[in-house]
Amino acid sequence: MLETLANWVSLNISEEAGTWFQYFSNGKHLAWYASVRYTLFAAVVGAIVAVLFGVIGAAARRSGFAPLRWLGLTYTTMVRGIPDVLFILFFPLAFEQLVEFVISRSACTAAELASGAWPPCDAAQWYLSTTEYLIMASVSLGIVYGAFAANVIHGAMNSVPKGQLESARAFGFTNRQIFWNFQVRQMWVYALPGLSNVWMLLLKATSFLSLMQIADIVLWADRLGAPNYFARAGLVHPDWRWKYYFVLFLFYILLTVISERIFEWLQRRAGRGMALHGAD
Amino acid sequence: MNKIITGLALGAMLGAGSSFAADVRIGTEGAYAPWNFLDDSGKLAGYEIDLGNELCKRAELECEWVINEWDSIIPNLLAGNYDVIMAGMSVTDERKETIDFSADYYPPDPSKYAGSPDVDVDWENPKGLKIGAQGATIHAAYLEDNFSDGNTILTYETPDQSVADLMAGNIDLLLADNSFLAPVIEGSGGAVSFVGPEVAIGGGVAMGLRKGDAELAKKLETALEEMKADGSVDKLLMEYFELEPTYGE
Repeated sequence: MLETLANWVSLNISEEAGTWFQYFSNGKHLAWYASVRYTLFAAVVGAIVAVLFGVIGAAARRSGFAPLRWLGLTYTTMVRGIPDVLFILFFPLAFEQLVEFVISRSACTAAELASGAWPPCDAAQWYLSTTEYLIMASVSLGIVYGAFAANVIHGAMNSVPKGQLESARAFGFTNRQIFWNFQVRQMWVYALPGLSNVWMLLLKATSFLSLMQIADIVLWADRLGAPNYFARAGLVHPDWRWKYYFVLFLFYILLTVISERIFEWLQRRAGRGMALHGAD
Repeated sequence: MNKIITGLALGAMLGAGSSFAADVRIGTEGAYAPWNFLDDSGKLAGYEIDLGNELCKRAELECEWVINEWDSIIPNLLAGNYDVIMAGMSVTDERKETIDFSADYYPPDPSKYAGSPDVDVDWENPKGLKIGAQGATIHAAYLEDNFSDGNTILTYETPDQSVADLMAGNIDLLLADNSFLAPVIEGSGGAVSFVGPEVAIGGGVAMGLRKGDAELAKKLETALEEMKADGSVDKLLMEYFELEPTYGE
């Protein structure tokens, strides 16, 4: 299919265009284009986890139960202060060790446990493939940006006019109903601008996936742009990495533009039926 | 998505040893032509890939390739991420302390310097040079031992980066395997060439295995001997490196 298309291009446009078409549609490049799925997966899963952690974190911070309030505050302050790169490196490895530790308690004999070797026995060995690294990297992103989201959501909940909640109470709604149907329902208008910022940061942080040995768009750009002087390995060319990185710039800018559109739409939707300034 | 999570949970519960179909996993770098690299179709290719696949076939093992960065290739072997290293790794005494090696499948190869043809080096007493090598290699160790006084040594994560920096003129010299540099110099169109003396560091290139993994070592060793004896290793060496018959009768 691609072969036929390449032939058509070189016959009908020019020989050179055909060669370039072939180059940009070879298996290596197709693998590069396909690796976008890792970036998008990490962004979407990361965002879902971040919103979940955000709501839980914000709820914890408003809790009437003091230890929960401290936990929420610790999470938002501490995790926001940890560099995302560091956390993406730390979390999957720490989690792997924890799982291996838990398995080893039941799977290994007492003698093996006492030997001090790590992991104590083969049965406790957990091999991580790309899929597992990807899930854990996405969850790491979610945890880091969830702390930012928690802060945004906490602030947004406080911005819901007190009068709304008081009227709700006066009408006889229960506390739970007030929280979900009034406070959470109305806070999105105040939270969305902040959340859109968090989303942008998260989107940019997906470029760290290659740190976990995931063959994402950055790793492939690196491989494709690397100078090649061995004809059997493909087109012989000098260092082209900057060109490939430039394509990634454009890709991320495109994602930003699309995201902004979506957030504008969400903002309009969240503001429906609310008499507010700045949320038209 | 649900499937992935179930798979993850199952993998975690069973300990993943049982969740892989392959008998043996081979770790390689995938960025070291002509030894191991990604070809145009995006698949692993190269001398070690052909050799490894044939070894597995003869030893009747189901093998799977794993790409791993060079600088963590030994730690990840020890961690069990794969069982064999085939990544142009030279046998050295230092490495023998942590891992076992098979017999070599590439004879001891001199290392060489690549640089601009008109680079001026006082080889008796080198000073003020910027010399590069890939990190965690025998070359990096050699530079550290011999050039650390009065010269700047730069190490790179991947071979590609070291070549890119040499071509960009950021380093005066690059020390690497002859087998790796030869195609680079040939393809550079005269921009760089071999300069200075050859240096003999390290033994031949061999498979790296975990210590005490005797059963696997024996299987692969037997297959390698067989391939050396019937000339198939020599044939591959000719194909990828234009090397004269080395191991045949």
